[in-house]
Amino acid sequence: MAARHVAPLADQAVMALNEGRIEEAVALCLDVLELAPGHAQALKVLYQIRRGHAPAAAEALIRRVVALYPNDFWATNELTLLLLGKGALAEAEVHARNAVRIAPQNAQAHHLMGMIMTEINRPQIGEYHYRRALELADQRGAVLLANLAWNLKNQGKMAEARAFYEEALTADPSILQTVLGWARLEEADRNFDRAAELLDKADALAPGNQSVMLSRAVLHGRRRAYESALGVLDEIAAQRQDGGLGPNELLEKGRLLDQSGRYEDAFKAFIEGKRLVREVSGTRYMADHAAGLTARLKGFFTANRMKITPRATVRTDTPQPLFIVGFPRSGTTLTEQTLSAHKSIAAGDELPFIADITGLMQRMLGSPLTYPDAMSELWMGDQREGLDNLRDYYLQRARQIGIMEPGKRWFTDKMPLNETHLGLMALLFPASPIIHVVRHPLDVVLSVFSNQLTHGFYCAYELESAARHYALIADLIAHYRSEMALRYLPVRYEDMVANQEFHIRRMLDFIGEDFDENCLKFHENKRYARTASYAQVTEKLYDRSRFRYRHYLKELAPIVPILQPAMDRLGYTFEGLEAAA
Amino acid sequence: MSLTAEPMVIEDSVKLAAEHEAAGRLGEAEAVLDRILEKNPKDAEAVHLKGVLAVRGGRTAEGAELMERSIVIGPARPYYRRNLCEVYRTLGRYDDALRAGKKAAADDPADPICHANLSVLYYERGEPLEAIASGERALALNPNLPGAHFGLAEALLLRGDFERGWEEYEWRFRMPGVPTLMPIEGVPQWDGKPLESGRLMLIADQGFGDGIQFSRYIPWAAERCAEVVLACSRELQPLLGQLPGVSQMFDRWEIAPASAAYLPLSGLPRLHGTRASNVPTSLIPYLKPDAERTIKWKARLDELAAPHHRRIGLVWAGRPTHKNDRNRSVALNRLSALTDLDGVTYVSLQKGPAESQVGGYFGNAPLINLGPEIDDFVDSMAVIENLDLVVTVDTAIGHLAGAMGKKAFIMLPYAPDWRWLENRSDTPWYPSVRLFRPPTPRDWDTVSAEVAAAIKAG
Repeated sequence: MAARHVAPLADQAVMALNEGRIEEAVALCLDVLELAPGHAQALKVLYQIRRGHAPAAAEALIRRVVALYPNDFWATNELTLLLLGKGALAEAEVHARNAVRIAPQNAQAHHLMGMIMTEINRPQIGEYHYRRALELADQRGAVLLANLAWNLKNQGKMAEARAFYEEALTADPSILQTVLGWARLEEADRNFDRAAELLDKADALAPGNQSVMLSRAVLHGRRRAYESALGVLDEIAAQRQDGGLGPNELLEKGRLLDQSGRYEDAFKAFIEGKRLVREVSGTRYMADHAAGLTARLKGFFTANRMKITPRATVRTDTPQPLFIVGFPRSGTTLTEQTLSAHKSIAAGDELPFIADITGLMQRMLGSPLTYPDAMSELWMGDQREGLDNLRDYYLQRARQIGIMEPGKRWFTDKMPLNETHLGLMALLFPASPIIHVVRHPLDVVLSVFSNQLTHGFYCAYELESAARHYALIADLIAHYRSEMALRYLPVRYEDMVANQEFHIRRMLDFIGEDFDENCLKFHENKRYARTASYAQVTEKLYDRSRFRYRHYLKELAPIVPILQPAMDRLGYTFEGLEAAA
Repeated sequence: MSLTAEPMVIEDSVKLAAEHEAAGRLGEAEAVLDRILEKNPKDAEAVHLKGVLAVRGGRTAEGAELMERSIVIGPARPYYRRNLCEVYRTLGRYDDALRAGKKAAADDPADPICHANLSVLYYERGEPLEAIASGERALALNPNLPGAHFGLAEALLLRGDFERGWEEYEWRFRMPGVPTLMPIEGVPQWDGKPLESGRLMLIADQGFGDGIQFSRYIPWAAERCAEVVLACSRELQPLLGQLPGVSQMFDRWEIAPASAAYLPLSGLPRLHGTRASNVPTSLIPYLKPDAERTIKWKARLDELAAPHHRRIGLVWAGRPTHKNDRNRSVALNRLSALTDLDGVTYVSLQKGPAESQVGGYFGNAPLINLGPEIDDFVDSMAVIENLDLVVTVDTAIGHLAGAMGKKAFIMLPYAPDWRWLENRSDTPWYPSVRLFRPPTPRDWDTVSAEVAAAIKAG
């Protein structure tokens, strides 16, 4: 009954909003909501008014609309964008998927899914939705084209990405993000001059824009013009009211200072950068969760249980995963670039499917328990082949994202910290080689601390938590190796640098493939690695990354006791590699 | 307070502590000694006894220090150095042990235990001739000293003097602390004469390796007896049951059939008249792998091993409770020359606590930790059947490979078990086995390098 009375009022509110009579619009909306607290139009108008200056109130309003009207596409779209903006990617994904369910023929729905999938490191799925959006849209919009270009750049499809940027810029030359994204593509692809030109163009569009300035600093850094890069960062800081840099800028500054040999200042920048990361995100290392998970894994993956736990059979009709595992910043990217230059090995990049399976397992095995205990279902007569289904899920997902190229026998999966699930991987793919890249733990932790990473339950947010997580996982790996038969080969990053060909041959021999000269020229591998390592793997193997921790002995001293057992086990000392000494 | 078979003379002031110690009440003994030493820290006898307690409590190095101090305090009784000799020996301080042992013998030349201890020490020093001489000196002073007989037996056998060695070896069951072999009363030990109407009970004594090694004599015994039954652990039954001539196996005395005579398996070589030149090998391979399990393990190894690599079984540690485990086992990471090789995949057949060392293995060659999946010796044999070579320290796996006629390299300790004889790289027991010996005690680097070179050579 109320709706009949409030409808004219709501229409008036819309009109007031459109005509810029904001206060009147607010008053009208409040009137409507007093009569009809769930009135969609009033809530939406109020949301539009609030979103500029009262984001928390706006979020509450749009959430209410979506809760009340789950099939409202406009509201779902708005909420998804809002969540995407604040980095709540998991929740954003839920609503993006809903948008496609509501409007499967709507270009914007697919655009949303494309954005989310790209952001959560599933670029192949993102590409599918962007392309669907292009098919469905009336015109090839500049933003959509630029987003697709960014996605393709993340997949290393540089030429295609470049073409889409060009088209996007032609469609609308005034969008800063298009120019900036393109500049980043050229920087990643080592076309530094072109990147500089594009940054000039971006600067013209938005003079003094700090994102442009940060990109400029990164570009200077890649050209080893460290002082210039630091100068740009100083300019950014000077522009700010508080005179300080943001977290990403501080981490970049720290890396530039490190490259310049100013180690003490570099470390201070890392510390401050990480402090801000924690402050802005409100996130800390999930220590209890990590400890609980590893304890459960150790409890389940024991020799006695493995004897009675069936393994999945090996499929011979499809390329098989080749796992490259290791703590972030251990050299997994380098190893993947090297191996995927081989004629029989496709690059799969960081595949999230093992982690997906740990989440899906309970449902797929029909267990009342979560992973890893859900695997106790495999002891039941009706689930003896349960792992075959999970194996097929992994292979089907891998096929769907297009990494199973014809003629390849293997595809790499280098998801960092997959070694947390070494036992599961060995049960799902008993014949798949697992190459574990190890590097001096102090170098790894230092590098993790100097980069923005969320892997490992946010352990990288503090120096000590990075060390603790490293030690926890090192211990877990030793457990798996003691309790299970694995097709496992450890490879030292330092050895790869010192004797590249020997270790490439060694890895290929382990995999069962002949040597391929192309693997030696991995830096010519046109595939772009989208991890933090990309600037390094596009250079020839170099020595600078070995034992960098030696510049930070004082700063790292507090974490040495945490890492000592892992260092002992791996044969590293506080000064360097025992074997090399 | 004795570290050897014979009781020691002790001062009245520490008599009570010694009684506690002898009765195994180490805590009480320690408390008494602490009270004595509080009043008189220079009571050499109390200090020495504290050293004995420390050794018995597993604090061997601390025990050595206390014993050294008791000698410095003095007056040193001869058994101070006699005990210290033993402690040094267990610490691997062979030169110190020899000095202490010789001085103890010089101080009390009539003490047979000193010479028996020296005999054991000389054996471990790789000086069997001296071991024999010391053993004989001890027995001249006391012909009924089982430890001296046993030490002498091992040295004689090591030298290849099987004729005398087997006779002395019979004293092994009279050693202090060795349980009775045959708990059923009234059954005599077999003398090797035909038992045409009687049943012979063979007993698989000693370790798994001994059982595998001496089981080759079962058919020989069966030819001389109407029936042979075998008292044998469950682990060995599937193996030893393969030898012709055994009518029944059991692992509990309650179900043992009545027998006319018994004999430990390790007693068979003596009755057979085995010499280094006539070790029976014609039955090899006398152990054969199970066909079905061999196929199963081949499939598993095909999954796990690098396809073009040679597959080499590896065992680096024996049972930790073995008396010579300190010398015969090696840490996996000490075998770097081996594990640096190209073109080989190691297949760990290691069982027991040393399995956990795989978690810290970072050698060049891949190492497959098959131990957790291996249930029993039948599995071990089926795996070995699928390997190109087995490399092992002196464990049952070496015997298993040898009895299967499979190629195996055994890495011996400096003073090896007598059965491997002296200074030779082959063994009369197993034609397919090659022996590697360290030039000095625990020089695993040299052994590992030599084995690596042999693997490379094919």
